Order: sequence, then C-alpha cells, then structure tokens
Amino acid sequence: MTKDDPNTPNAMKSPLSRRTVLKGMGAGAALAAGGVLPGAFQGARAAQSLNYMCWEGYNAPAILDPFQKANDVQISVDLITDSAGGFAKLAAGAYRAFDLVSSDSPWIARMGPAGIDRFIDDAEFADQYAEFYPQFRAPFAPLQYEGKATGLPTRWGWVGPTVNTKFDKLETWSSYAPVFDPAYRDKICLLDWGDWPIMPLALYAGVNPYKELDKNELDEVRKVLRAAFKNTRAIVGDLAIAQKGLLDGSFRCLIGGGSYCTSSLRLAGHDYVQSIVPEPRNGLKQGIIWMEATGLLDNGNDPTLAKKFLKYIVSPDVAVKLAITEATCNLVPNQKAEALFTPEQKSALQMDYMWHAWDNSLFHTIAPNIDDMLAIWQEELAAR
Amino acid sequence: MRIDRKSWRDPLLLGTTVPLTLLMIVFFLVPLAMTGILSFQTTKYYRLIWTWDLATWRDVFGKPFYWTIMLRTVAMSLVCVVLSLAIAMPVAYALATRLGSLQRHVTILITFAFLTDAVLKTFGWILVLDKNGVLNWGLSYLGFGPQALNLLFTPSATMIGMVYNLAVYPMFTIYLSLVRIDRDLQLAAYDAGASRLRTFFEVTLPLSKPGLYAGAVLVFVLSLGAFLEPKVMGGGNSPMASELIRQSFETRVNWPLGAALTLVLIVIGALSLAISALVAMRRRRVASPA
Repeated sequence: MTKDDPNTPNAMKSPLSRRTVLKGMGAGAALAAGGVLPGAFQGARAAQSLNYMCWEGYNAPAILDPFQKANDVQISVDLITDSAGGFAKLAAGAYRAFDLVSSDSPWIARMGPAGIDRFIDDAEFADQYAEFYPQFRAPFAPLQYEGKATGLPTRWGWVGPTVNTKFDKLETWSSYAPVFDPAYRDKICLLDWGDWPIMPLALYAGVNPYKELDKNELDEVRKVLRAAFKNTRAIVGDLAIAQKGLLDGSFRCLIGGGSYCTSSLRLAGHDYVQSIVPEPRNGLKQGIIWMEATGLLDNGNDPTLAKKFLKYIVSPDVAVKLAITEATCNLVPNQKAEALFTPEQKSALQMDYMWHAWDNSLFHTIAPNIDDMLAIWQEELAAR
Repeated sequence: MRIDRKSWRDPLLLGTTVPLTLLMIVFFLVPLAMTGILSFQTTKYYRLIWTWDLATWRDVFGKPFYWTIMLRTVAMSLVCVVLSLAIAMPVAYALATRLGSLQRHVTILITFAFLTDAVLKTFGWILVLDKNGVLNWGLSYLGFGPQALNLLFTPSATMIGMVYNLAVYPMFTIYLSLVRIDRDLQLAAYDAGASRLRTFFEVTLPLSKPGLYAGAVLVFVLSLGAFLEPKVMGGGNSPMASELIRQSFETRVNWPLGAALTLVLIVIGALSLAISALVAMRRRRVASPA
C-alpha cells in the first residue's frame, strides 16, 4: 500500500542499473516467484499460459476460470503481499517470467519508465476507457508518464475515518480532531499499513505529505503522530482484529484504512459501519484516494493474450466480480459495471458517497519524504 | 570413529560430514552472509539502492530507541523464561510422578495443544482478554464491574501470549529429565529422613537441571524471535525486536535496516547462549573439581 514519488525518473536510475547487474539473478527470482513453475507444468495442458502477479481478489476463480476456458489458457498466479516487494521481485528480473501485474497504481506507473511494464496505447483501449467513469478516462494522469500510459485502473477507494455509527455520530468525524481528544483516549485504532495512516494525520497537521517537506514540516508530522499515538488504544496491522474491535465498540474509529476496511463489513450486514472523508481543513483536503492498476509486463513475449486479459479484467461483468471478493470489496472504475451491482452491493461500496470522497481527497502517490515519515512513525512507535 | 591427522581423506568421514556441512553453508551461512550484505545497502522511495554504505549501521548504533527495544526484548524474554519454567515445572513433575495411568492421556492432550497452530491460539486470546472478552465477562459476573481488566494491547497481553505458546517446550524437556532420575536416590533421601519437600529441593530439582536448562534456552531463544504475540496482542505498545524487524521489512520496506536489526538480534541471541553455556560449564567444573 505504497505509492509513487514525483521524482520517479531519477529514482529509477540506480535500481535500473542494479537490475542490469542482476541479470543472472533474474532466473532465480523467477523461480522464487512461487506460482511460475507450477504454471509451467499446468500450462502443458492448455494451449497457452499466462503468469500473473496480483493482489488478492484478482485471482478469484470466478474471474480467472471463464477466461481460461474461453481462451484455452492456463493462468498461474503469484500473490503480492506488499506492492514494494512485488515491484522489487519484478525489477530483480522476475518480470521476464510474468505477463501481467496488478498492484497499487504508483507502482504500476513507475514500471513503465523502469522498463518493466510496456506502455499501452490508449487508443487500443479506447473501448475500455469509454466505459470508465469520466474521472478515469484517457489520458488518466496517475498512470501517465511523458504522455504514455502504463496499465489501466482496476480498483479504488478512499482513506478516511471508519466509524461504527452505533457508537458514534459521523459528524464527529468530519475532522480528525477526535484522534487527539482526551475524550477518545484508548478508543482509537490506527492501522499499521505503511504510509496509509501517516498521510491523513499529516494532512490534519496542515502538511501536504505529497510535496517535498522541509524540517519544520517533518517536525509537525512527528508531533501529530506522537500525539495520535498517545491517545490511541492500539496500532494494529491485522484487518480482522481492527474490524472486530470496531464492531464491538472497543474501537470507536479506525484511522488509516477507509473504504478498504468497510465494504466487506457492510456487505455482511453491518451497514452501520461507514468510511467517510473529513471536510477540508485550512484549504487542505483531508481524504486520500487510493487505486490499483493492471499492467502488461515487458517480458519479450507476444503480449496479445495478456492484452486480451487486460481488456477482460476491466470489462463490466468481471469488474463486478473484482469489486466483490471474499476478502474485501472495493470500487471499480467501470461506469457500466455500476448497473450490474445489486442495491446491497452498491450500499456496501458506499456508491452514493464515492464522488464526495473523490472531490474532497488527494490522490495517493509515493511522497518525496516517505522514507523520513516512515522512520518517524517507527521511532515514535518504539517510544510508546 | 577414530580420527587421525589425515581424516579429511577418510571417505566415511567425508560421506558423513560433507552433506551436513554443505547444508549448513547453503541454508545458514549463505543467508547470513546475504543478510550482512543487505545491511550495507540503502533505500529510497521504498527502493533498494545497490551501494556500500554504513548509513544503516550508523542509524542502528546511533539511535537509542533501537537499543531500548532490544533490551526490552531481552528483558521480556527473561521474564518469559521464568514464567514458563514456573508453569512447566509443576506440570512436568505431576506428569512424571503423580498422574499414574492418566499420564499418557495428559501427554497426548499437551501434545495436541502444542501442535495447534500458534496463530489460531494467539488470536483466540483476543476473545479472552479483550475489554468485552470472556475474562471481563467473568469478572463482571463476580461483581468486579464491567471491563475490570484492560489487558489486550498491553505488554502483559504479549507476555501472556508468549508464555502460553512457549511453556510447553520446558514441560517436555523437564519431564524427560524427571523420568530419568533414579528413583532409588529419592528413596534414599526419604530413608535418611528427608521430607518430600526437602527431597524435591535437594535431589529431584538438582537432577532435573538439564531439562530446566534446555527448556530455558529454548524459551529464551524463541522469545527473542517472538513476533506473533506482540503483533496480535501488543497493539503497538512496547514493541519487541522481531516486530521492529517485521515493520522494517514490511511496513517501511527498509530491507537494509531489517537486515541490520536481524543481525543484531542474532548476535544478542548467540552471546546469551554462549554466556549461559560458559556459566553452565563453570558450574560443572566447580561441582566436579577432580
């Protein structure tokens, strides 16, 4: 759950040379890529094979099976557990063994300039873009590099307070102020999900974390994190623990998760749990939009089938399956898919709120000072 | 086996030692060396930058909070050892001397508990220790009021989880020591007029020391590396070294830092073991001066 930095081209230089040096390790990395070898054997049964690195949900049989049957192809999946790790594996040479990748959008965006992903021709995907909400249509800025796109957006959502309205009013969370309120001491849960919980708290401190920060601004981030930690009951990495606490009221609010924590609970009937975006503060938007994207790996093989899969996975009926998975439920960029969701699914995804969230949020990218902010997070956490 | 100066040419010796040596090199020394190499790299924007730099080590030695966490981990591990032995000793003693025909059944039950997935067991404690958990429900039933204990997401919860998951190791090692004690020695103590308590402290306990020592070492080493319990039950309060390492790798994606901290933890563990081994050897020499 990490995003790109604005200095991408420079940041790419060292890793690229590293990648060149590590050519020999590529084969090893490919072998280490888990699903690849089994896929090679399974592929013998089908006329063609695709190797796919993706987040959980993209690998659902309901998504993969119809494509495999229709195209006589065997798809082997390697699940990503963190975007940076997936990127590192591909950059170390495993990109040669894969055909497709679905990851957090900034990582997909940086795969193009890094020579890992192919740039796609927007015109070739004009039919797909035409089905997307206007906000996601070509040229879609977050995936653009020098006028070329790397991949297509596939899932999205927002980061904001997740509230159980049985215990708290939503209006209370029109600001992050309760995180620091003594009345909420030991009632807040921060999600230990990389930069996700840092960014909204920085925004509350009046710092735009997606810009280059000076020392004073980093000090502000430290202060706000320290204050939040003092008032927080738990910093939790496991979603199930956080959701349990939210449901039984021992956590009044989850910070750093947003719609990713909410939709599956709402679909399970807990529609009194909601994720919102606080109101802008001092002219600074307080919400964050995250997005996942799918790209084609530049592995030297014919990408025809991979392109077909890319078109397939953003198609309306598949997008619905991708939105509603066993683990999580998330929004998709396909506008036509909206008509295919049931009212319950729409409610679970808070579709009536999504554009309000979009309008009041910044787009999540890798911040220039992310290393500093993560170090501050860890230092303050260690001092708890 | 007779080993002479030319033993490296001995095919039998080569056949028995070379595979093990290769395994140790491939699965222990090589990963350790790679971890060492990784610790001299740097990261930027979540990316590993291939270079040779002491920045990570300067951080590790220059920032006190890393050492606070390391010392806390050692302290928590020592407390875990004491608590685990305190629980394991009576259980093992009862198992070896008191349970009679039930011995086998109880052993099987303990084994089943031991084999149950630690993740499952640790998550189970949440239902017990939470504000709305079984423990508080029981206490409120007894008149202590609602949410009398706020244990979950505290260092105490971490300790409960660690002791629960690790106490079984000394149970087995102590049990094995106890069943090997020559019963005649205890009977001789009784014949000499010793009470049961005195017999226990002067005969049984000293003779069960190998099991106690082995159990203590096992619990200590495993406690040093405990990450599940702090992650699930600690709630980010008083984090331990392995949680710090996990965060460095997973959350910060700072692999050089994770590698450096891993090496520090390995050195602490190795030094602790070396010191305890030296103490044990010295005591053995004192006990048998001849």
